[in-house]
Amino acid sequence: MAKVFTLEQRILKRNSEVAEENRRGFDAQGVFVVSLASSPGSGKTSLLEKSLALLREELSVGVVEGDVQTDRDARRIEALGVPVVQVVTNGTCHLDAQMVQGALAHLETGRMELLFIENVGNLVCPAAYDLGEHLRIVLSSTTEGEDKPLKYPAMFRRSQAMVLNKIDLLPYVPFDLAEARTMALRVNPSLEIFETSCTTGAGIPEFCQWIVQKLSETSAA
Amino acid sequence: MHEASIVESLLDLVVQNTPGSARVRRVDVRVGLLTGVSPDSLQLYFEFLREGTVCDGAEMAVTLQPLLAHCENCGTDHTLREVDWVCPACGQGALTFRNGDELHLESIEVDNGEGIHAGAADSQAQQ
Repeated sequence: MAKVFTLEQRILKRNSEVAEENRRGFDAQGVFVVSLASSPGSGKTSLLEKSLALLREELSVGVVEGDVQTDRDARRIEALGVPVVQVVTNGTCHLDAQMVQGALAHLETGRMELLFIENVGNLVCPAAYDLGEHLRIVLSSTTEGEDKPLKYPAMFRRSQAMVLNKIDLLPYVPFDLAEARTMALRVNPSLEIFETSCTTGAGIPEFCQWIVQKLSETSAA
Repeated sequence: MHEASIVESLLDLVVQNTPGSARVRRVDVRVGLLTGVSPDSLQLYFEFLREGTVCDGAEMAVTLQPLLAHCENCGTDHTLREVDWVCPACGQGALTFRNGDELHLESIEVDNGEGIHAGAADSQAQQ
């Protein structure tokens, strides 16, 4: 005899539970956690390098690097003298909450105030996985076209800020900043937008200021 | 591509909710249009990953949940079957969505089920 069981359960329930565990742990330790996601090559690691140079002056910082292969990104962060742990996913196209939890065992977060998690370069898959972060930032760049938010809405909807990187290339690429803003805000009207160049450093101080502001709002709450 | 991981989580959830000796005949899944999850891709990975689990030989039905949209500009409500960011009534890009992020295991149909595991005590069984 066949029976039907109505379950109505979220498929990624287990990931959400671990993400909540992570978040409670971060809150208990007073670590503010920011994740970065984008297509490959938008400049996540470069943005981190530039931002950490400023942020480390004020805060104790750390980084979790996610990549499908190699520890090249972690070595770039390590060169700055910032504590970093590399997660190599071996083919998996996103980080999940459990991978982050595993990485935390290798990172001294006790006195850390700000932790960045750099996701695998991919605008689709990471969107579905809560990692336990407090803030999600999505990057897009002037070499990618203005319509990324419309094509990959899940990531842009679930982020609190968009960093439009590589603005130093604007004279050389057919990229319309106003159009990019319009499209991003259509998908997520509350998105904060920053325009940056990791080559010239433009916009990096404003971006860092906003992170610090968000951090202090959270610790005041 | 993350559909492989989603199907792995789905299979874990089905195993947790399937009585010990039972076989699963059918799995019903509901996907929101804003998740970016591809139903075809889910099917592909389900057929591949179900082997050797309680779902071996089971079919999976994926339903795309229509999107409930409200236009902040003209105040109209719409039910969309595909994602659109422009209001069908006034043509402005002022739509907000009431749903779209669903990624749910709705139900399972099993053979020889004699009960259900503790984790799903709030579920209803139908003959």
